[in-house]
Amino acid sequence: MSTIPKFITTDLVEAIKNTAVELTTEAPATHKLCRYADLRIEVTEEKHAGAENGTSKYASEDSQFACGIRVLAGDGAIAPGYFGQMLGKADLPQLAKTLASGLKHAYERALANAREKARTRAKYKDLGEALSDTRLASVEVHRDTVKAEYSLDPRQVRLDDMVHYVTEVSRAVRDVDEQLKYNAVSAVTLITRDLFASSEGACIDQSFALTKGTACVVAVSETGDQELADDIGHQRGWEVITEGVVEEHIRNLDLLTFSTNLARDAVKLAHAPPLRSSDKDVVVVTDPHFNALLAHEIIGHPTELDRALKMETAYAGRSWLLRMLNDTMVGKTVASAFVTAYSDPSLPGFGHYKYDHEGTLGRKVAHIEKGIFKGFMNSRQTAAILNVPPNGSCLATEAHLVPLVRMSTTVFAAGARAPEDIIHEVDKGYYVVGHRIPSIAESRENFRISAQKVYEIHNGQIGRLYRGGGIMADTKTFLMKVDAAGRDFRLFPIPNCGKGQPMQGRRLGNGGPTLRSRAHLTGPA
Amino acid sequence: MVSLPTLKRTAEQGLRYLRRQKDIQEAEVFVASNAGLTARVNYTSHIPCNGVEEPKSTSSHGLGVRAVFQDPRGPRIGLGSEAGDLSLNGVKAALEKARRSAVHDPDFTTLPRPSPERRTLTKYHDPSAMTLTDTDLVQAGWRVLTRALDEFAKAGSLSASAQTGPKLRELGFIVGGDVTVLLERMAMGSTRLPKVQTDESTLIASFITAMVEREGAKGTGSGCHTRLSALRGDAGAEAARNALSAVGGVRIKDGAYAVVLGPQPVTELMSNLILPSLTVASFYDCSSAFHGKLGRQVAHHDLTIYDHGALPGHMGSKGITCEGLPTGRTDLIADGKLVGLLSSFYETERMLRDPAAKEKLGVPPEDCPGALVPRNGFRFAGGGGRRFDIAPSVAPTNVFIEGPDKKTREDLLRQVQNGVYIGRIWYTYPINGLRTGDFTATVVGDSYMIKDGKLAAPIKANVLRINDNIHQVLQNIVGITSKSRGTIIWAADEVVYAPEIAVARLRLTEIAGFLDAH
Repeated sequence: MSTIPKFITTDLVEAIKNTAVELTTEAPATHKLCRYADLRIEVTEEKHAGAENGTSKYASEDSQFACGIRVLAGDGAIAPGYFGQMLGKADLPQLAKTLASGLKHAYERALANAREKARTRAKYKDLGEALSDTRLASVEVHRDTVKAEYSLDPRQVRLDDMVHYVTEVSRAVRDVDEQLKYNAVSAVTLITRDLFASSEGACIDQSFALTKGTACVVAVSETGDQELADDIGHQRGWEVITEGVVEEHIRNLDLLTFSTNLARDAVKLAHAPPLRSSDKDVVVVTDPHFNALLAHEIIGHPTELDRALKMETAYAGRSWLLRMLNDTMVGKTVASAFVTAYSDPSLPGFGHYKYDHEGTLGRKVAHIEKGIFKGFMNSRQTAAILNVPPNGSCLATEAHLVPLVRMSTTVFAAGARAPEDIIHEVDKGYYVVGHRIPSIAESRENFRISAQKVYEIHNGQIGRLYRGGGIMADTKTFLMKVDAAGRDFRLFPIPNCGKGQPMQGRRLGNGGPTLRSRAHLTGPA
Repeated sequence: MVSLPTLKRTAEQGLRYLRRQKDIQEAEVFVASNAGLTARVNYTSHIPCNGVEEPKSTSSHGLGVRAVFQDPRGPRIGLGSEAGDLSLNGVKAALEKARRSAVHDPDFTTLPRPSPERRTLTKYHDPSAMTLTDTDLVQAGWRVLTRALDEFAKAGSLSASAQTGPKLRELGFIVGGDVTVLLERMAMGSTRLPKVQTDESTLIASFITAMVEREGAKGTGSGCHTRLSALRGDAGAEAARNALSAVGGVRIKDGAYAVVLGPQPVTELMSNLILPSLTVASFYDCSSAFHGKLGRQVAHHDLTIYDHGALPGHMGSKGITCEGLPTGRTDLIADGKLVGLLSSFYETERMLRDPAAKEKLGVPPEDCPGALVPRNGFRFAGGGGRRFDIAPSVAPTNVFIEGPDKKTREDLLRQVQNGVYIGRIWYTYPINGLRTGDFTATVVGDSYMIKDGKLAAPIKANVLRINDNIHQVLQNIVGITSKSRGTIIWAADEVVYAPEIAVARLRLTEIAGFLDAH
């Protein structure tokens, strides 16, 4: 091992790279029945600050360091075993030993698992036939280094400056209106460096900057109340907070302007009448911010192949897009011709990466092309089951957790229409602006998502504002009724997508343009 | 896992060091060692699978220091932590981080002060769980899976169908879920508390979903234990039997139905809607669905809810909170009246000094001191572990829901006569924010028609959405069983000992009709 730093910084990854590569490439030789091993190490240097109602609440500056190991092993059958551990500075002198011990644990678990798999397979005959050797679809082996992008290095930002900034923003939000009864403003800026090494010879070193700002407000008027929360963020440095972002597909305001605008919206909504639910479909025009969550829930999640292969039945659910291996929606119509949707880790924002956590080069995955369903995001294991190439969609939020099939950035593709024209064509309908809270059926076949704002559209003009509104529809029905897609494509950060046991809350990206379709309106009960 | 004596020594040494620092007014050190061992199960008879998908573990140990630093502009409070280092160097490093990150929080008064209540729960963990081997973990997963497979293999009706129709495995048996063992040890000392205290707990849970997918039939099995010896794979067998019972599911139309909610839906409503609204924090930030209603009727007079963290033999129990205070019983709703809230020391102190407290609570806080006792300040991670790197926040432990009478499920079914038994719901969210009380969820399994006072046809999975308001549910309770079941939902830390509850009316919407046509 190279000279180990005294502190946990991202430089540590450079120092332990050779040890990690050695451990994994030698694993099949040092562990008799080991067929494959990989090791992930992650170091994050991060800073947080939060304020409420104009006073500072907390700040922190720390580093996280963790490792995760996977082994496939066995004789009569091949099965997986895993090990994960959060580490600290005191672990550095013994790190090679710790990693070797972790590999041994993962190996022992894989062996025990393989023995039980073989035994159960033999015992149950018909039902046991499905118990198969764990296989990974082959991928090109990469050795690469990917650097983080930023203007203001998160490691150089002064914590005092962060505290001062968020406190000032919280104060400004409080001062927007006396009907704002509560606000919380927070920010985080960090650099993460991941190392992936495998027995196949992969060695991938990736770094990411990430900065996020969050505002939550509660407004109470004489006639109603409104809670709102929203986020800005990008895989960049502190400039995301202080200057905002102006890029082709990502536009966010600086945190101060963003938060005070959110506060004004909350006050307006607290005075607005509640939306009445409709008992039938109405015309709805949904804006890019709303469609980011829509893409997440009804495109991204049901196209995660582990979910489609029933592996998430007990937790995140299945997918209506695959019933059985020989009964899927691939090649079939699931949406109107106005709908194209895909996932692409090369898009900027929270979901950006070059390699996933199996060392697979991430690539764009088409899900729907002009209404026809095309395919799923996958991992090496799930790709092997469907006999398709892996597309690099397997990630863990932290190294000590097991990677799962996750979205990178999943979007509705841009259309050709001006969004204002899409609205002007509507005689009677509703303009649904900004996402809030989702609830999706188990196989993603139905959704209800609440909006920040719902406006009536009358004779092509945006009219009255309502609070407590949203839409509800069966997924395929909604997608089939999309009759316009705008050219105003935007990307948004989704700060906390939950999956896995234990739960992994991943930051990722979603987006899309303005869309028009039909759905039930939902209002307060 | 690091031993408890080591954690205690670290806390004692750390506290001695902190007491000697001239710029510190007060300080606490929290030392923890956590391990989560999980055997995640995935079996699909019609798709190649592993059976036990992920035998895995995550572990961590370290210490956190919270310190109040003297400052001419007023005290500053900071938190720092150090993973993996339980030496004095670790304490020093954590203290330095706390010093650098300290802020002036005008709502902060002191670190937790001793409570007049006494700790009652000690020595309640299962030592055998602390020595679980890799093989034990893997075998626990296979045990729960094979118990399910045994049920599927011997199911007579399906075997008959398999003789004449598709092979048994083409019926699409699914078994998914996990067996999880959580091991937690902590030690804590504070300049405000008389001595360093320790705590040790073991939690063993299994949660299994089974399906006969070709029939759209889903069933659930679960177990919450404090002893490893109780883990026999019963959850797998139960899930498979429930899935088999759900074969032949029907659809029902939109409408308002009388319902009986099973323990899992009751737990989902509690964990996602009601408990988050029963914390002092949610009253402070004006987000509670019960804003301004302390002391008032908020539910049917039959309903009583309380949290009790000090009960032996219950999975959510802890000897002390992560603030070093005793756990105990907090009455929340008594005979339908809101009488208390879950709190941490910080949240209680903040509310007692909030000029808007009367408006937020509905009564002056000095008129209800018993309602705001801090018995629930924890450093939970969302699904297990007592973290050393975060500050305490409010979390429930064991939550009990009770009614006044000795009712059975059959009593509730007879009371309802015609309606729906809802056994499992999913993605239950406060769709318009917590404060409005509006919620939505989908019905995903274990559900049946109720006809003439009895369970009748199963309801197909994933064909119903609930859209209603939690206040309507609470006001329209018509019966509560005396028998309850310990239930945990995904990513929750608390265990709800949930009965079955009959509600006069719940709005159900039929969904996903297009799938039947496909």
